[in-house]
Amino acid sequence: MKILDHIEEWIVTFLMGAATLIIFVSVVHRYASGLSIPGVQDWLLSINMGWAQELCIIMFVWMAKFGAAYGVRTGIHVGVDVLINRMGDSRRKKFVVFGLLAGALFTGIVGSLGLRFVWENGMHYAFLTATGTPPGEIFEGPTTPDLEWPTWIVYSVIPLGSYLMCFRFLQVTVAFLRTGELPHHDHGHVDGLEEDEALTPGKEDAIYRMDDNLHPHGLNQADEASRKGDTK
Amino acid sequence: MNALIILTLLVVLMLTGMPISISLGLTVLSFLFFMTEVPIESVALKLFTGIEKFEIMAIPFFILAGNFLTHGGVARRMIAFATSMVGHWHGGLGLGGVLACALFAAVSGSSPATVVAIGSILMPAMVKAGFPRSFGAGVITTSGALGILIPPSIVMVMYSVSTNTSVGALFMAGVVPGIALAFLLGLTTWYRAKKNNYPCQPKATWGERWVAFRKAIWGLMLIVVVMGGIYSGIFTPTEAAAMSAVYAFFVAVFVYKDMGLKDVPRVLLASANMSAMLLYIITNAVLFSFLLTHENIPQQLADNMIGTGVGMIGFLLISNVLLLVAGNFMEPSSIVLILAPILFPIAMKLGIDPVHFGIIMVVNMEVGMCHPPVGLNLYVASGITKMGITELTVAVWPWLLTMLGFLVTVTYWPTLSLALPRALGMVSGG
Repeated sequence: MKILDHIEEWIVTFLMGAATLIIFVSVVHRYASGLSIPGVQDWLLSINMGWAQELCIIMFVWMAKFGAAYGVRTGIHVGVDVLINRMGDSRRKKFVVFGLLAGALFTGIVGSLGLRFVWENGMHYAFLTATGTPPGEIFEGPTTPDLEWPTWIVYSVIPLGSYLMCFRFLQVTVAFLRTGELPHHDHGHVDGLEEDEALTPGKEDAIYRMDDNLHPHGLNQADEASRKGDTK
Repeated sequence: MNALIILTLLVVLMLTGMPISISLGLTVLSFLFFMTEVPIESVALKLFTGIEKFEIMAIPFFILAGNFLTHGGVARRMIAFATSMVGHWHGGLGLGGVLACALFAAVSGSSPATVVAIGSILMPAMVKAGFPRSFGAGVITTSGALGILIPPSIVMVMYSVSTNTSVGALFMAGVVPGIALAFLLGLTTWYRAKKNNYPCQPKATWGERWVAFRKAIWGLMLIVVVMGGIYSGIFTPTEAAAMSAVYAFFVAVFVYKDMGLKDVPRVLLASANMSAMLLYIITNAVLFSFLLTHENIPQQLADNMIGTGVGMIGFLLISNVLLLVAGNFMEPSSIVLILAPILFPIAMKLGIDPVHFGIIMVVNMEVGMCHPPVGLNLYVASGITKMGITELTVAVWPWLLTMLGFLVTVTYWPTLSLALPRALGMVSGG
């Protein structure tokens, strides 16, 4: 399980950094190849960066899908929780579980729909050719305009990301039923940020993970409040 | 009828507390499945193609740039520069805070991030200088909201995505209202400080100002890169966002040394987490607006609205109230993504300029961020100032009233937002 967590984090981090670099390089390339430096200019002009935009979009969509799954684990997804946060623990518990399971249901359905789409648009063909069976009537599937990658590979992030997200929702549900805690309550604070939290590199997302009625409260709020009182 | 079913379903699902993205998606799935013949297979593909636009990618880039800048180096020097310019008037540090927020807003696209960056440095300084906590909290909570009005702005990118309005024109239209609001917030600060006789800073000489400016130049240059880049046509808004992310990385790691290279992966991960959450709402909101269009709902609503004889003034009033109410439940990006596709067609039929309507929505969101029960700025400020939400709500009200007054001005005086983009030829008419 730890390995899956790490792979998820690593993919998301890599895609974010790499996409930024690619667009940076392509913009620099566009202007540098306009400068008339003998030799260098011809070399720069010979490099085609036309694919950068398409690759950046693909990378960000992948980042978004895996990141959304990571976000379930970190409790970043915002909702309308003004109402349920005013309820008593036992009633709120039902709503929180309902919400988490609704998330699992939606991502599960989307993952299955996506899988079917990907299968019918090239994965089936690729599968048959890979196993040496003549594909016959099966559709080979389209490719992307600039990179000419098979679209089924590009779109396979829908089933992959959605199923992962579904798994994360179930994981959070189980943990919540066991402990009564939700992911963003890691630090045990009741409102606002921990001291200088958002100023620590890597904690910037704390501004979307506060106890601010955009997220449901976990159970045992009283405990957390007293713990906060102690640390003050 | 269908409109009623869809909107009721969405509201009910949202009120159960599930993520907004999931309630949008489930509304679409269940409506398509139970009420129409549309194959729901098309939904899965839309989840990819919905965000397959290069314009949308400005959002992760601006978030990344903002996160590199939050760590103090840029903010500290901007505060020093701002205070050297206006610190000698009444409420010195408070005024400096308003100006610093306005400057930081011009490099950051998010309001809560502006509150964090400026507030966590300014707040201790203000307390030390003898200001009451509530005064400082009021200043940073409301001035931080400038983050989404002064370009770049993530909320404006969201609006442009859901209504196909030019990001460049929206950014330009935010400049004058942004400066105007900063001025009004400054005036409120000055007036309150004068009345209560709060301390001022010693007047800085022009030499000291020049030194402070030179130290802040790395941060200020970013304004030139983004705004200059977009308006001269050197970059598209998305490219400008990517350039500012790389530039911010360079400044934070190598110039101001706010962090080491080893911290960079964690900043990337945190940025990806925030962006993915917003992008996931966008994909599902695109799905939702596809359903609305498919059922012809915006058109029907527009016809009904115009049938009742409500004119432009009445409609703008209704929109403002609706947006302010929504601000009590949701976070700004979600409000814009859900309500823009519904309100925009009506606004178009009534002849309201799309860019002007965008600015109205953004100013509405700013107000929503500064009052409970959800306001992001308020909660961030609560963390920084260690004040309770109720206490903060009281502290914020003088500035919040100013903002409400400003909202009315922006709503009924389109020239304020449209003059600059018109002069630059980015918006037609005049």
